[in-house]
Amino acid sequence: MGSTTGPRGPVRRLAVGAAAFLAAASLITACGSGDGDSAGGSGRTADAKGVDDGATLTMWTRAATRPQSEALVKAYNASHKNKIELTVVPTDDYQAKVGAAAGSHDLPDLFASDVVFVPNYTTSKLFADLTERIDALPFAASLAQSHIKAGTYEGRKYVVPHTLDLSVLFYNKDLYRKAALDPEKPPATLADWDRQARAVDALGGGVDGTFFGGNCGGCGVFTWWPSIWAGGEEVLNKEGTGANLDSATAKKVYDTYRGWVKDDIVAPGARDETGATWTGVFPKGKVGVMPMPSTTLGLMPKNLDLGVAPIPGPDGGRSTFVGGDAVGVSATSRKVDQAWNFLAWSLGDEAQVNVVAAHKDVVARTDLAANKYSAADPRLVAINQLVADGRTPYALKFGQTFNDPNGPWLSMMRDAVFGDGASLEKDNKAVTASLAD
Amino acid sequence: MLTRALGRTPHYVVAAGLAVIFLFPLVWNAWASVSAQPGTAQESGYGLGNYRTLLDYDAGLWRYLGNSALVSVLTVALTLGVSLLGGYAFARFEFPGKNLLFLLTLAILMVPYATLLIPLYVLLGRLHLQNSLLGLSLVLAMFQLPFATFMMRISFEAVPRELEESALVDGCGTAGALRRVMLPAVRPGLITVGLFAFLAAWNDFIAPLILISDSQKAPLPLAVANLRQQSMGAVDYGATEAGVVVLAVPCLLLFLLLQRHYVRGFMSGALKG
Amino acid sequence: MHVKAPDRATAEHPPPTRPADRSPRNAAPRRHSRRIQGLGYAAPTAVFVTVFFLLPLLLVGQMSLDDWPLLAGDQGVNAPENYTDVMDSPLFWPAVRFTLLYTAVVTVVLLGLALLLALLVQESRPGAGFFRTVYFLPGAVGLASASLLFWGLYSPTTGPLSRILEHLGLVDDPVSFLGTPTSALLSTVFLVVWKFAGFYMLILLVGLQRIPHEVYEAARMDGASRGQIFRSITLPLLRPSLALSLLLCVTGSLLAFDQFFVLTKGGPDNSTVTVVQLIYREAFQRLNLGTAAALSILVLGALLLLNALQFRGLRRSDES
Repeated sequence: MGSTTGPRGPVRRLAVGAAAFLAAASLITACGSGDGDSAGGSGRTADAKGVDDGATLTMWTRAATRPQSEALVKAYNASHKNKIELTVVPTDDYQAKVGAAAGSHDLPDLFASDVVFVPNYTTSKLFADLTERIDALPFAASLAQSHIKAGTYEGRKYVVPHTLDLSVLFYNKDLYRKAALDPEKPPATLADWDRQARAVDALGGGVDGTFFGGNCGGCGVFTWWPSIWAGGEEVLNKEGTGANLDSATAKKVYDTYRGWVKDDIVAPGARDETGATWTGVFPKGKVGVMPMPSTTLGLMPKNLDLGVAPIPGPDGGRSTFVGGDAVGVSATSRKVDQAWNFLAWSLGDEAQVNVVAAHKDVVARTDLAANKYSAADPRLVAINQLVADGRTPYALKFGQTFNDPNGPWLSMMRDAVFGDGASLEKDNKAVTASLAD
Repeated sequence: MLTRALGRTPHYVVAAGLAVIFLFPLVWNAWASVSAQPGTAQESGYGLGNYRTLLDYDAGLWRYLGNSALVSVLTVALTLGVSLLGGYAFARFEFPGKNLLFLLTLAILMVPYATLLIPLYVLLGRLHLQNSLLGLSLVLAMFQLPFATFMMRISFEAVPRELEESALVDGCGTAGALRRVMLPAVRPGLITVGLFAFLAAWNDFIAPLILISDSQKAPLPLAVANLRQQSMGAVDYGATEAGVVVLAVPCLLLFLLLQRHYVRGFMSGALKG
Repeated sequence: MHVKAPDRATAEHPPPTRPADRSPRNAAPRRHSRRIQGLGYAAPTAVFVTVFFLLPLLLVGQMSLDDWPLLAGDQGVNAPENYTDVMDSPLFWPAVRFTLLYTAVVTVVLLGLALLLALLVQESRPGAGFFRTVYFLPGAVGLASASLLFWGLYSPTTGPLSRILEHLGLVDDPVSFLGTPTSALLSTVFLVVWKFAGFYMLILLVGLQRIPHEVYEAARMDGASRGQIFRSITLPLLRPSLALSLLLCVTGSLLAFDQFFVLTKGGPDNSTVTVVQLIYREAFQRLNLGTAAALSILVLGALLLLNALQFRGLRRSDES
């Protein structure tokens, strides 16, 4: 407060304010008209390598996959003239963040996304068309196809795999031995799994057969659906507008889980587990066998003797949910060539082996499933090979149907496993209604 | 004497019992942040492992603290400036639109926070204040206005009219009266308003989430939220607890420091309701 | 606009002995000048409210009338579809019901406890200042931080509460604080009461201290019991402070979001979905700004109506 500024302050403020008002008033009319052209630089230069000319690129990723993104960005910045500035956004709020920025054409040059949300972004034209560039890659055919498929819209390709996260069974070999089970024979069918979980559970003393996130829609999708796929059944129609979650195969899966709940084979807390801590149970060494994200393998305690196996269906078969993040160039970026330089590099042998595989993460290319790092740990090869058998479901309304804690799928899961499972058909209709919304 | 002491015992028992309940969560959190937990940076024994996690996270704790401090100071300054003048106007002047403006200011309280943020984001973009700590502070200050204006209005109203009039008679303009006479009289109210603005700005999470898109500019609550959920589904309780401590300590200290003035601000404002 | 009040201390008008505005000759220009000065002082507030509140609010209004997907932007008018969509949502009425229930529970518990606290610390007993500080301390922690804190506190894996209760022999099995609809509601209420009781205590304390001592003295002389004094003196004279508390508490609770967002996410089984959570869900899960805006406008309308009624009700009972 200066000595003489009494009413002058307000005057100046008023003037500034009036200018602000006018500027702001124009926005209400202005933002109605979206600028239409967002084709990006699709085929202008089909240069597979992009441009490395010292540009600064911005990139967003969610906190859940920060370690993987950070490792890639660091290695890229160290070896290129282009520089990437990575911003990490809280996982639960990533959609909100991207949504707010998209509305005012303010997205970063590159942004990664949980692969199940990619269709939302492709259909809203937030990504630049990368079709020709992706197809020109020498290893295009061996890229994780489930991610590529999730990022294909009207025949055009918009994203490439960034980090892969697969659902696989982890089983505790020590507990298997104690329960007189063969530690080299993980479940090959759902019935095996059921038998082995019950055998471990019978050990008592705070040991439980299995565990799952019973109040977490995303966990159900990630860990239950592979069993249905492995049984040869579909869960969604091809367009992602209808659900088939009340099939006979699906029922067999729910019934098995319900049996575990009924007979108390499940570790305590499954009913309330919202997904915040579901991966923290197995590492404590008191659970026999449960599905886990492959990205947690590197985080397991060293003294835990654990085996890895594919998730089986009711009568055998194997499948996995290929999750993780896909990444694309935003449609509004003016540095498509430079951004592509990063993407192309991140999929190359050097980055995939010496960055991704070295961190015990799943490689994005099936032709690199066996590499010098995975050779040291056969469990990694098993996981890498699963990519080809896995799926990433496609649905435009995926998040609001399956991940939303207040969505219809979570109700269905809980009815099917904690209830009597009698309302499956009705619940399936609700899921379909949400998908077709 | 003895009977009176006995007569008061239940009073103290109730008061102390409640005090334990009120303190327990804070004490537990502080203790948990330095004690051993599996799956955190402090696997065994007591120590500052979780704080080290925080220190090294992404752009670094100091950077986040600096951003938070800057946003808080700007917000406090803006809130104080606007509500001081506004409170004076509402308490002592008649002007067209006075009641409407006052009601509109209070109506800010009634709008769900999250909904205004998207339009605000667009608007800040037009003003070239997007992704800027100043823009964030402007928004946070706006959300402080209902309480601040209300508080300053009643603080000014509680100042005896004669005090201001004598200053006017002495040849001061209203600006001089405000500065020389009124300002000291409403200082407790200002401290209350300032403290509230600080607490709100320091702790806010959703506004920076939407309005700031650069790690280098993120305030601390955003970083703590990032830190909480690491790789798929794994929660770092230890880092979260350490984050809560780092977030809470400046607020608690400031509150204790300003407590006397602050309570007086409430009293002197004599919240009339 | 830098107009000084026509100076009372000029040669024509020697300093009057009484304040200038009471002199009839000066009244009109002076009133005019004060109006302008008042406007000047209120200008920053007006600018803030216009630019950062009214304009965005107008945009929210426009959004509520348009088909406006979050990612694709405005697609043109579709009114009143957003409003009907929102009302038809199966979660809408349960959310309204739950929000009202939560508001009622919080208001009763919070204000009741705040009154008890205010009574406990009102007199200058030794230690009153200490207790006042302690009760207010949680208020200095942000709501999001407090929610995170309690999220750890309630956690079945790291939280201490369950173990303490088991240790005390109060329960046999681990307690699931957020596991059932009732326990999730009560656990959240506990957090909110812990965080805000001190604030309302302070407001009520102000009210208590404005009750003249003589009134109590007189009542005591008449032989009134403590209960009678509380009911017939304290409560009625505390009305203005209680009314303010009520207003703030009801408005704040109807807009509850952070605590549920962190602690329950609306679960278990959609039992703790509040209206503002629905807004967040419409905007950021269902990516539909149009319906989110419609819901916001409905909430704003309801709150304005409620507060107007509350004001009027209070004023009427004041007059009677």
